[in-house]
Amino acid sequence: MKTLRGLGLVQTILWAVALIVVIVLPFTSAPFRVEQYITWMTIAVAAAGLNLLTGYNGQISVGHGALYGTGAYTVAILVTDAEWPLLPTVIAAAIVCFVVGVIIGLPALRIKGLYLALVTLAVATLFPLVIEQFSDLTGGSGGLTLTSEQLYRGSIRDRRVKWESPIDGLASDQWKYFIFLAISIICFVVIANLVKSRVGRSLVAIRDNETAAEVSGINVSRTKILTFGVSAAIAGIGGAMFALNKGQVNPTSFTLTLSIYLLVAVVLGGASTVIGPAIGAVIYGVFIDVISPELPESLHSATPLILGTLLVAQMLMAPSGIVGGFHDLTARISRRKQGGGKQDKNEEVTVTTHEVVAETDLETDPGGFHP
Amino acid sequence: MNMNWKGLAALGCALVLIGSACGRDDGDSSSDSDNGDSSSAEDAFINPSEDCDTYDGSAGVDGDTIKIGTIRPADGPYAIYDQVTSGLDAWVESTNANGGVTAGDGNTYQIELIKENDGYDPARTPELAKKLVEQEGVFAIVGVIGTENNKAIRDYLNDECVPNIALATGSPEWGRADEYPWYIAGLPSYATEASMWTDYLQETNPEAKIALLYQDDDFGEAYQTTLQKEIEGTDMEIVDEQSYNPLSGGSTEAATVSLSQSEADTFIVGLGGTPCPATLTFIPETWTPETFVSTTCSGNTALSLAGGKDLGILIAQAVYDPADPADADQPAVQDFLTNGAAAGLDEGQLAGGISSVGWGFGALFGAGLEESDTVDRAALMNTLFSLEDSSFGLVRDEMDITTDGGEDPWPLEGFRIVSRTADGWEEMSPFTNKNGESNEIAG
Repeated sequence: MKTLRGLGLVQTILWAVALIVVIVLPFTSAPFRVEQYITWMTIAVAAAGLNLLTGYNGQISVGHGALYGTGAYTVAILVTDAEWPLLPTVIAAAIVCFVVGVIIGLPALRIKGLYLALVTLAVATLFPLVIEQFSDLTGGSGGLTLTSEQLYRGSIRDRRVKWESPIDGLASDQWKYFIFLAISIICFVVIANLVKSRVGRSLVAIRDNETAAEVSGINVSRTKILTFGVSAAIAGIGGAMFALNKGQVNPTSFTLTLSIYLLVAVVLGGASTVIGPAIGAVIYGVFIDVISPELPESLHSATPLILGTLLVAQMLMAPSGIVGGFHDLTARISRRKQGGGKQDKNEEVTVTTHEVVAETDLETDPGGFHP
Repeated sequence: MNMNWKGLAALGCALVLIGSACGRDDGDSSSDSDNGDSSSAEDAFINPSEDCDTYDGSAGVDGDTIKIGTIRPADGPYAIYDQVTSGLDAWVESTNANGGVTAGDGNTYQIELIKENDGYDPARTPELAKKLVEQEGVFAIVGVIGTENNKAIRDYLNDECVPNIALATGSPEWGRADEYPWYIAGLPSYATEASMWTDYLQETNPEAKIALLYQDDDFGEAYQTTLQKEIEGTDMEIVDEQSYNPLSGGSTEAATVSLSQSEADTFIVGLGGTPCPATLTFIPETWTPETFVSTTCSGNTALSLAGGKDLGILIAQAVYDPADPADADQPAVQDFLTNGAAAGLDEGQLAGGISSVGWGFGALFGAGLEESDTVDRAALMNTLFSLEDSSFGLVRDEMDITTDGGEDPWPLEGFRIVSRTADGWEEMSPFTNKNGESNEIAG
């Protein structure tokens, strides 16, 4: 009892520290770093969307980079061609990606596992080529810059969109940071509530045993398709944030590498955990944006190799990801000390989350993929 | 948990408020407007007090050192252009070894060059440019490679009022100096180059049937657009064209073979990087068109990859080729060969025709510093946009290097047509200056 309360306290302290870091960072970093932090947020959101599909529902997608890209291009086109205000485009991107996700998800009703992965792989590979094909709309290989008409050097010209901060003392990059932080938090809260709900339980049930889920009265087809759609919509929100953050989109930003990056973020942080993809995205981001550029130039080309080696090491030591590993650890401590005593409501939540992770044979299947 | 969330949210809000009250704690001096500079006269092309939200004209100048940055591909299919940066690096080394640049303010400055690698991927360029400006605090950016790459950072650098000098690209986009006054090209406009080809064809083969292979980005499309425009109303005709995506990783072989079936008597290769010389090797023996290649692949380094198929190709040439015996006596070439070697360029780089271009980019920056009254970002740009019969690097003496703000933003606007021989180039048509015409040619 005492230990469990102690663990709860540890969690609260961890959250508080994370919160302080997240809020203090933009005040202590150069603007280009703040933009990198926002990029990590966009990856975190998209990875959380992917996690809903792959971690919780067991449908593997190697194509979420394309959905992220679809969200980004939706925003770029709406801002530049249709002159929409910035933030409403995020909602538009989510809707467009939901529809695209449902369409991509249709084959998933008939094919599973490796074959589904191959279909989504094709989507990821084709995306940059499709973008270049429709260059009138998408700007081709040159991409699109998010512009609006502004007065400059005596005449009205198309200039890069700006984030004007309404608060004195907040620079535009910091203002942008907090807006995107808010959007990211909303996405994560929605996902957290979703997976705790009946819908979330049916996702897991389908993943673990489709027949049993169907027998229990879950509409498997509808749930799978909708999961694809919602997962795509969240990835699209990530992409939309990316476009608004960078102020430009380019097909080379949305290649297969991005899809793999998203998958790595999910696996690294912990599949089927709410906060795992965020942790994975940040760790990957720190490695690529902060550590890797500091390496000697001769080692730069070896970056993927180093990253790969670290991933293998992580898989060996903590196959259920960082958050999964943390849950395993806390569960082991509480079991040992508590010896099966009565739990109060608050503690039950913690243990249940652990059990979802631990009991869905993540230990025998690293990454939580269920072909 | 609910109670915790509320507490955390309250803590978060409080921190944001405290943070915004304190502002950024890195002593950001660039927000201090410093517009009282004497060189920014009212009638100058750039007036930072009007054109810049925040302006720090002497950022990157620390005592007697001026810090500059560049971005180039150090890996991938376009890594061949890293040699441009080697040339720039050599210019910096050589200049420093010879005492430094004596700027218009009478002081002598050492130059420090910081290099970043974007792998020719324009999605990676902005972050690196921001890093150079915000973290490294460079005075100016020099010799950034790639049209799309320079476009990707154009809004940012112009908003921040950071000079981007000697862009290593000749896209007609750089003619928009009125809109983007902090950008000045280091190569002639591709449109002007293409117009030299058609001028030559008009004289020698007025009924030319052209097969065109171009890179499907701004670089290649500049050739395509200009060719279409220039042959309008003539008897010349583009009988077939193919585009090539530089990031696809594919080869140009299929496109070249397909073009060879078109019965064209003229082949224009509007490509850069190694795909350009590779294309020459793909021309089937049965097809013997008169072949023009982009000036971006006219050096020894590129053409040595053509497997001997480069003999007889035509280029529009604006600079001396350090490997051409005919140019060997030129003082600019001598200077490059001697000082470049002392600064560490190897034989291949000295003769390659790529590093010499980067050397010239450094020289343009140096010339701008020397001719500016003060070491100030706007003063430097205003100098570069008001050049009069200047000279720098390995640019041919016949070139009239004159600029005039948005009216005439191109320093280099002249060429001669030359044909490749076993050891150099043979002049096919004399040097022609098209001073002030580049924007009009591009349309």
